[in-house]
Amino acid sequence: MKPSPRWAAAAAVCAAALLAPLLLSETQLPVYIVLVLAACVVTGLSMLMGYAGQVSLGQAAFFMIGGYTAALIALEELPTWLGLAASPLVAAVLAAVIGVPLLRLRGHQLAFATLAVQLILLNLVGQQEWTGGDIGLQGVPRLAIGGYEFADDVAYAYLALAVLGLTVLITRNIVKSRPGRGLRALATSEVAAESSGVPVAGYKLAVFSLSAGFAGLAGGVYAFYFGYVAPSSFPVLLSFEYVVMVVVGGAGTIYGALVGATAVTLLLQLLNNIGTMEGMPAAAPTVLSYAVYGVLLVLVVLFMPRGLVPTAAAWWERRRSARPRGDDPASDGAERPAPAPASV
Amino acid sequence: MLQIDSVSRAFGGVYAVRDVSLTVAEGETRAVIGPNGAGKSTLFNLISGHLLPDSGTVSYGPEGERRRIDRLTPHARARLGIAIVFQGARLFGGMTVLENVMVGAHARTRHGFLSAALRLPRHREEEARIEADALAALDRVGLRDWAHRTADALPLGQQRSLQVARALCARPRLLLLDEPASGLRAAEREALAQLIESLREEGLTTMLIEHDVAFVSRLADRVSVLDLGRHIAEGTVEEIRRDEAVLSAYLGEGVS
Repeated sequence: MKPSPRWAAAAAVCAAALLAPLLLSETQLPVYIVLVLAACVVTGLSMLMGYAGQVSLGQAAFFMIGGYTAALIALEELPTWLGLAASPLVAAVLAAVIGVPLLRLRGHQLAFATLAVQLILLNLVGQQEWTGGDIGLQGVPRLAIGGYEFADDVAYAYLALAVLGLTVLITRNIVKSRPGRGLRALATSEVAAESSGVPVAGYKLAVFSLSAGFAGLAGGVYAFYFGYVAPSSFPVLLSFEYVVMVVVGGAGTIYGALVGATAVTLLLQLLNNIGTMEGMPAAAPTVLSYAVYGVLLVLVVLFMPRGLVPTAAAWWERRRSARPRGDDPASDGAERPAPAPASV
Repeated sequence: MLQIDSVSRAFGGVYAVRDVSLTVAEGETRAVIGPNGAGKSTLFNLISGHLLPDSGTVSYGPEGERRRIDRLTPHARARLGIAIVFQGARLFGGMTVLENVMVGAHARTRHGFLSAALRLPRHREEEARIEADALAALDRVGLRDWAHRTADALPLGQQRSLQVARALCARPRLLLLDEPASGLRAAEREALAQLIESLREEGLTTMLIEHDVAFVSRLADRVSVLDLGRHIAEGTVEEIRRDEAVLSAYLGEGVS
């Protein structure tokens, strides 16, 4: 059997991702690592938005919780791998606890409530002594797993890729199976999903918690890589960035999460380069990056409401079916993009 | 199989269902008829769990293991074997026809997020079984050829059949059909009637909201009549045809 375009694309993406750390320059590598970590967060958020139909405007809070968890454990002289292992768990448990009251809300109300959670957590973290206040926690040791110390940027790039690979694998397995069907079902009709035996509230909580776990894990890697965490590393703007990445890429598709994270990161980097050119006002980088979220969101919602990946897939599908073909029509349809996400 | 005792449910002070009591025996096909606004769909929602009664009790289960269910969530009732086909097309758009039916098996399968994430062998076996069951259910309603199309692409009549297949994939013990024949063409109605007949032969307990007298006469063992939220009559089709309360409810006072 000939390899399908889907597999070819997956192989190409994997190869490019794995080669990148070796090819990128010293200044580009940190951007790449942050991109890969963002892709982890966005994969979880995309599942939450695309499959469970829920929006979180506070996903950076779980990223932060993961980062602080890893940093606190590592600074207590406990094994650093324990910090990394704990970061997704603490974030997921926190999400499960606050999710119980929060997920009774819907749509805009839920989005604002998650935003409020992040603001509250930022405030708390910024005022507690044991979290280092506004200065945060410094001097987080390097991550060591089984005697191997992750020392340089290339090692962290591969660590981030491994975490992304795990995230994508778990997401894919869930989406394609019984709980994934339940999630996709409840995104279109909660009533019908309930009467088919899907515990709607429990499933929403599970996917909220899972997406927080992914964000927490990425946050753990972040803390070890940069060696410090502070409230200012996890602004509300970061949460917006994640949502924009989901919307740009296309909610409810794994490729969408990857494409969205990449596209937005590259665009921001480009604008940052322009903003810091000689002769630009000092505020230019900030203004440009804020503006780009707005413009990007408006453009995508206007012209590609389903996001880049589903739009491109539909275009490809049309082009393919336009010409006579001999291949079987039943091969696709196994993995269809989920319905449009709830708008923010 | 189902026992409803003095159940009432009001919306904003107006009773949609008022002091209704009825019992459906195991294996029975019960039609529920009544003018528009009589409370038929509300009654179904009280059984399926999408509405909770203000007062009264709903009990369900075969003889000997009957239990109260009126405080359970709809998904818990689905697990107990109650399946409902809604009047409107409540499909899972964006999913294939096959996946829609596979969701129906949710009520009788267990594997959750963890075993899915790890792709445990047990989970994969269960997935294969669910798929086979779903295809069998699609066969039964004549939708097998559509299995890999998206559900939104189906014509209206087939959307109803898809809902029926989804309900059957749950292997229910009590099937609630809310106007399953409305909007169907003659051939589709006939196919639906034959399907309900074969389910009756298999001993499935079914409740059926329906307006078409011929359809009801052909399929129902007994008929319950609701009017303005009250259960005004119950009996065989023949008995109901002669019932004065029913005639006056349908045709107005003074006719007999």
